[in-house]
Amino acid sequence: MMSNPPDYYGRTETVLMVVHPFLLFAYWEVTPESCRQAHETMGPEIDGARAILRMYDISLIHFDGTNAHQVFDIDIGLEARGWYIPMWIAEKSYCADLGFLARTGRFHPISRSNVIHTPRATPSSRTDEQWMRVRFVRRRKPESTRALEYVNAPGSDRKPSAEALQREQRDASMAEYLGGGLPTSIKG
Amino acid sequence: MNPARGYLCLVLHCHLPYVRHPEHETFLEETWLYEAISDTYIPLLRVMDGLLRDGIDFRLTMTLSPPLISMLRDPLLISRFERHLNKLIELASKETDRTRFQPEFHRLAEMYLERFLQTRHAFTQEYRYDLVAAFERLQEHGKLEIITCGATHGFLPLLNVVPSAVRGQLRTAVAHYEETFRRPPHGIWLPECGYFPGLDEALRDVGLQFFFTESHGLLYGEPRPRYGLHAPVFCPTGIAAFARDMESSKQVWSAEEGYPGDPAYRDYYRDVGWDLDYDYVRPYVQATGQRMNTGIKYYRITGKTDHKQVYDRAWALERTADHAANFIFNRERQAEWLAPAMDRPPVVVAPYDAELFGHWWFEGPEWLDQLFRKLHASSHVVEPITPAEYLERHDVNQVCTPCGSSWGASGYYEVWLNGSNDWIYRHLHNASRRMEELTSRFGQADGVILRALTQAGRELLLAQSSDWAFIMKTGTMVDYAVKRTKDHIHRFTRLYEQLLSGNLNFEWLKDIEDKDNIFPKLDYRNFS
Repeated sequence: MMSNPPDYYGRTETVLMVVHPFLLFAYWEVTPESCRQAHETMGPEIDGARAILRMYDISLIHFDGTNAHQVFDIDIGLEARGWYIPMWIAEKSYCADLGFLARTGRFHPISRSNVIHTPRATPSSRTDEQWMRVRFVRRRKPESTRALEYVNAPGSDRKPSAEALQREQRDASMAEYLGGGLPTSIKG
Repeated sequence: MNPARGYLCLVLHCHLPYVRHPEHETFLEETWLYEAISDTYIPLLRVMDGLLRDGIDFRLTMTLSPPLISMLRDPLLISRFERHLNKLIELASKETDRTRFQPEFHRLAEMYLERFLQTRHAFTQEYRYDLVAAFERLQEHGKLEIITCGATHGFLPLLNVVPSAVRGQLRTAVAHYEETFRRPPHGIWLPECGYFPGLDEALRDVGLQFFFTESHGLLYGEPRPRYGLHAPVFCPTGIAAFARDMESSKQVWSAEEGYPGDPAYRDYYRDVGWDLDYDYVRPYVQATGQRMNTGIKYYRITGKTDHKQVYDRAWALERTADHAANFIFNRERQAEWLAPAMDRPPVVVAPYDAELFGHWWFEGPEWLDQLFRKLHASSHVVEPITPAEYLERHDVNQVCTPCGSSWGASGYYEVWLNGSNDWIYRHLHNASRRMEELTSRFGQADGVILRALTQAGRELLLAQSSDWAFIMKTGTMVDYAVKRTKDHIHRFTRLYEQLLSGNLNFEWLKDIEDKDNIFPKLDYRNFS
């Protein structure tokens, strides 16, 4: 006998999830109470209003509801309860408001989602370096408050020699090997 | 002898979802464990014990996931494994008789019979029904590093919508490791290699010191790491991240280009459970009467053909030696090429699912045996190493934040979040949130309330196994994965409602405690 999980949790919520750098998944639940409130607030504007996800690009900012880099709307079917959202750029932070968009252009939000960060899809162009010394601890747990010791990058105290220059050249030719490559798949 | 020019860090990930059904006399999915014990875990232990006995200085890193440890120590599953093995011995014995006029098959039937008898002897006499203790002994010898995993292999990047779910997976796993091995784990195999930036903070909070990522987890790290995949980095928290080497992985993983696809090796798919007369194999297949793999297989891969040729054990073993030598040759060239550009020996991290060795690739354990023997005898270039040893020798590493990634198809989270399985997350997240709520409502608990809270934690963890989403995606045994997800969420939800209303159903609680008995010492406050 199959025991089914609840159909509804009785809690209005919108959740964003990352599938990959160019695809998000959103799911939501809107309680009858939230729906009723929305209808009440919107009054006659509810006629012809569309359910949307209003997406905010909030990369590297403290979002105050007005300062998103970019805002765009995704039409959804409210009853679908889940939606995939393709993206055109990686490495961004997003949150979303689920709500009704009236024909007048007025937006009535019902719930705000969590914040998600899409991963990189290419090597970083940042090559500045920081190095750290961390003492490994055997058979016991390190203190979670242990101080982290930043140190000079290996080789940074040496004067450039002919050998070092040669090495630099070699490093450059190796950059492609070390830094290249697309994600490979082994499972699924 | 000169110091090594390169390190090889071989990692075997041993995990199976928690499958235990006392309510059924036999249960098909329990055979995953029985096959893994006889095909993989015992052969690997015998290889490592042999290396130790012969003074071969090897190093291997292995995950033993908490569900696997729990199943390997479960009296019911242990007795059922013995029953399974006895049936195999009976079948192999009948096979030696049936094939008596076919010498090439007869030789193989005898090989299987001897092998199963040896397995039974090893399991009952040498390891005394406790494989976990056998792995632990190897760890105490310093040859094997046993690392932990998520408590039930939850895919952490997708559970992190409710961060207490990630804490629950990690705290439970670390506590279970300490209970098992009487010391904390040094490192973790992140389930499915699933990483997201910030996860290292949760790892630090439970005292873990290193983890592994997929190749582009490091290659796309920020800033770009100077040594690419060939040195670990420290996350800003000081937790080390080692990344999978692509080249060595492909040589072993790839079904087409990799070693396991060699025509000399045993074919996995041709099995007497499908090939022989139905009435003859009937006692050795599913209780429902449906055919299944028995483990007795007479053919070699041969090629892309249905006309398979008979397996030649001696030839297959020769190939393991060739392939081990080839693997070492490639690692040596890799090390020689990389070493001059680095201030330390490059490390090649080669992780594999353990069940590849022995179960899928029948000769895998022998390949591993050859690999370590050859490295010990003749390679002065490549030295096997564990992550712990590496970090002791090289305590200065570059600081870098790895990129969100996994080792699933296309490299991110898609395998565990797509149209076949997206419906589970609403339930997993809401149940996780409710569990956190229970921990704050019931700061102190005892008696039956404590039992109900603990059971709620178990049901939540069992629902979170990434295995269910994976199975839904791959499309075989889907009904079972769906049922497990729904059952655990349903049981969790009932417990939650009963705890809030104060109306606990004792009889039912006892029933699910007996069924879902993982983590007897679980602390429900792990989910705070």
